[in-house]
Amino acid sequence: MKTVTIEICMGSACYLLGAQELIETIQALPEERQAQIDLRGSTCLKACGQGPNITVDGELFHNVTPELLLRIISEKLD
Amino acid sequence: MSLHADVDIQQLYKNGEELCGDNVIVTRSPDNTTIVISDGLGSGVKANILATMTTKIASSMLKRNIKLDEVVKTIAETLPVCKVRKIAYSTLQIIKIDTSGRATVVEFDCPPTFFIRDGQVTPFPVEKRQIGDKLVGVGHLQLLENDILVAVSDGVIHAGLGALLKLGWGWKGVAEELQDVCYRYPSVETITRRIAGCCEGYYLGKPGDDTTVVAVKVHPTRFLSLLTGPPKDIDNDEKVIRRFIASEGKKIIAGGSTANMVGRYLDEKVGVSLVSEDPNVPPIGYLDGIDLVTEGILTLNVVIERLHDKNLNESTLEDGATLMAKMLNEADSIEILAGTAINPAHQNPNFPFKINFRSQVLGELQKILQDKGKQVHIEWV
Repeated sequence: MKTVTIEICMGSACYLLGAQELIETIQALPEERQAQIDLRGSTCLKACGQGPNITVDGELFHNVTPELLLRIISEKLD
Repeated sequence: MSLHADVDIQQLYKNGEELCGDNVIVTRSPDNTTIVISDGLGSGVKANILATMTTKIASSMLKRNIKLDEVVKTIAETLPVCKVRKIAYSTLQIIKIDTSGRATVVEFDCPPTFFIRDGQVTPFPVEKRQIGDKLVGVGHLQLLENDILVAVSDGVIHAGLGALLKLGWGWKGVAEELQDVCYRYPSVETITRRIAGCCEGYYLGKPGDDTTVVAVKVHPTRFLSLLTGPPKDIDNDEKVIRRFIASEGKKIIAGGSTANMVGRYLDEKVGVSLVSEDPNVPPIGYLDGIDLVTEGILTLNVVIERLHDKNLNESTLEDGATLMAKMLNEADSIEILAGTAINPAHQNPNFPFKINFRSQVLGELQKILQDKGKQVHIEWV
């Protein structure tokens, strides 16, 4: 089974710009899909001007929307 | 050991009056807590003005370390004269407690101060002294942990007079009630509410006089340090972190970059919870050795709201703001180390206006905590 580690920045900037929505997007996925994701929070990914920021298997993504997040997950796992 | 004095005040206004003729001012400095109580002649506006003038003059003079004799003399010479009674008059009571627990009590025409140690109630020992043409009681005592002082206006002593109780509640009656309520190490709020509640009962809900209860209790000072924002100069990071880590008492970090900075120094990774109980408060973090780690400016804004909530202690919420507000509420001496490094996120024009001002938020936080009787010091680093 393929897995992916996603770290979502929960700093002020990213939180205001929608980090919580990203977490909810992942938590709304089917359980089998969630089981493939190691979801973590981060205090700051040092790109506050371009939030929300996430890392996917260590790779940094800026201005992440729920749609972009779902696309990234799908590319990694399908 | 440093001691802190908790103070609580409860007042009942004389039936039909919109102002209280008793006035209390509590001032705190890093070295001591001073409570000045005055009962002005008569009731309503006139009494309120007399009492307020007395407390204002006394507390501002005492703040400047002016001698007691001078304070009493000045008050006697400054108060306006009542046209009806041809006298200028108000009572004066001062309780001053320093951080070593040494208490000074000054009484002029007020009921004797109650002193409670190990559940036993006695009058605070004072000696009469002539100051100008006034006979003033002055006493000193070294207080111990959990000692309690209670000051009341004569509205408490006379509660029920001519109604439920022929001669009023009386000093001994109040002392018996205090003995009962102080049996189980109560909070100052419990004491003042109980005594004021009894007075209201004896007055059958219509107080015949302005009624004031002030309770003071000493206990070891509970310290707390809050670190928010990295220092302006990166070379200062280590110095500030060391100071924060070495500080006495509870420790809170508010801010993701700040938490990361401390984490790097401690060689620990900051963990972040993904649970958000309130959409306005980002999740909390975890760092070994730190009592609470939260996001910064958004959480601090909500902390101020939480501190205004009278039911905070009963709240079962576990978001960062509620947890921080509860910890701040339980502290007596709070040191805030506020970093002034520019946060690149705050330069983003899409952000709400208020988040740009850490200084404004911390200023508000300081004020509300000071209003709750805490010593709060902000140092900008």
